[in-house]
Amino acid sequence: MLFLISKRVLAAFATVIAVIILSGILIHVVPGDPVTAMMAQSVSATPEAMADMRARLGLDLPVWQQVGLYAWHVLQGDFGRSIRGNESVAWLLLQRLPNTFSLAVCGLTVALAIGIPLGFLAAIKRGRLADTAVMVIAVLGVSIPAFWLGLIMIQVFSLKLGWLPVAGSSWRNIILPALTLGLTYCALVARMTRSALIEVLAEDYIRTARARGLRERQVLLVHALRPALISIVTVVGLVFAYLLGGQVIIENVFSWNGIGRLAVQAMLERDYPMIQGFIVVFATSVVIVSMLIDILYGFLDPRMRQR
Amino acid sequence: MTVATATIKPRRRRMPVTVILGLGLAVVIAAASLLAPYLTPFDPMRMAAGPRLAAPSIAHPFGTDEFGRDLLSRVLTGGRLSLGIGIAAVVSGLVVGGLLGLLAAFAGRAVEAVLLRVVDVLYSFPDTLIALALVAFLGPGIENATLAIAISLVPFYARVTYGLAAAERAKPYIEAARLAGINSGRLVRVHVMPNIGQSLIVMGTLGFSSAILSAAGLSFLGLGVQPPSPEWGAILASGRNYITKAPWILIFPGLAICLTVLSFNLIGDSLRDLVDPRRKGRP
Repeated sequence: MLFLISKRVLAAFATVIAVIILSGILIHVVPGDPVTAMMAQSVSATPEAMADMRARLGLDLPVWQQVGLYAWHVLQGDFGRSIRGNESVAWLLLQRLPNTFSLAVCGLTVALAIGIPLGFLAAIKRGRLADTAVMVIAVLGVSIPAFWLGLIMIQVFSLKLGWLPVAGSSWRNIILPALTLGLTYCALVARMTRSALIEVLAEDYIRTARARGLRERQVLLVHALRPALISIVTVVGLVFAYLLGGQVIIENVFSWNGIGRLAVQAMLERDYPMIQGFIVVFATSVVIVSMLIDILYGFLDPRMRQR
Repeated sequence: MTVATATIKPRRRRMPVTVILGLGLAVVIAAASLLAPYLTPFDPMRMAAGPRLAAPSIAHPFGTDEFGRDLLSRVLTGGRLSLGIGIAAVVSGLVVGGLLGLLAAFAGRAVEAVLLRVVDVLYSFPDTLIALALVAFLGPGIENATLAIAISLVPFYARVTYGLAAAERAKPYIEAARLAGINSGRLVRVHVMPNIGQSLIVMGTLGFSSAILSAAGLSFLGLGVQPPSPEWGAILASGRNYITKAPWILIFPGLAICLTVLSFNLIGDSLRDLVDPRRKGRP
């Protein structure tokens, strides 16, 4: 078990380092001169100011040295300073992190609360009307763009019915974006739950349990649920990663003060240090979550520990 | 050429209803987009083609937007942009990802280990996020958005191609061909490709729907196709300020995205079960 944990932690650390180096390199794929691109919208774009900016970002050094320096600073928690407002990128991101995280957790909770029961229902009633209905809902669910669903939710629940506020960052404001994320990703959860349970139900021990004359309820709840839940745990990690990706857009639809909104603002303003910081923080979250899920999987499934 | 007929078992069943439905939808949408210049009642860019924010009527079946542009004309023309971005991104993503996948499967142990590790790491990040990060540095615009989406699809296609090719690699006919002294390049070209090509095309349709969604999302954020071009996401972005007065600006482009994505999901999902080696024998 200890071996598994240390292996996962090391792999996660290596991935984060790779992401940091990559985002350090990305600034060099900017077509033309990044400083000109950044200062294009600024009134104070004098040659002196531009030279100053170039020196501050270390853009006059050789590429490998810049990337190395960037990685070194990031590992110490220094993401540089934003172009607009000249604030610490790390601080700006840190301030918004709780908002992003709470929305992601609420969205995931909604997705699991709807998706898992639906997936179970479909697997138990496999091939019948309920199964078809759930699968139709699932394919519709993955086809609806999350931001469009969000706009419709605002139109219906905020503007027409006046039940919930349109934007802001109080607990009442989290309901609509969390529902939007949850409804978007519950389809994915339902599909994966369905195939996990169907796989378990085909196992020999389920047949044995049935042969022993146990009631179907008992077979499902005692013998099938536990192993199925174990494979659903891995699904949770995957869905969480996708949900974080979708959340960038949703935060902008609902003006939710999270990292995604900050990032898109920075992207529109060409604030490169900010964008780099966002990439590193977001990617690290994805990596940490999938690492934790892997380790949790090891605890739940004894077979994993022996590998 | 060796064709292993066992790769895709042609099950003797009728084509699933979902595939027919998806294909029908896709054909209608593609035809409407292709014929848009002949079908649109107005020039999609022409301002004041009718009154501003007019509700759907016979003259303007989808209503008009905040500049009095005809929404039906804009949605139809937007289809050309969305489908165009989708096709360009999927084809280039599939070519690059496919080559990487084949390289991983046939270029030796070391290449396989390194490529798979990199692809797996990239694959663990959502494609929207990869596309966003790339566009952030490349800058907004239709070409950059297409390029970013194409790159974001590469890990998925590389993974899928590798999976298919690795399954093929283990088969006796490949071993026979190798023993006959054929080099890897020719082996892949003449023997492997014909056997996995069909499956790759099916996986291509699955990537297509996610490409359309990414393109709409990027344009909605202002990072993809720029206004006044009538891309669906871009129409939604400019219309979001008028959703109380003119909900039709919200409804029609959104429905267009949904139906397009739905049609390709219906086709891809049903066919995937037939060709995905990891799913074979599974429900």
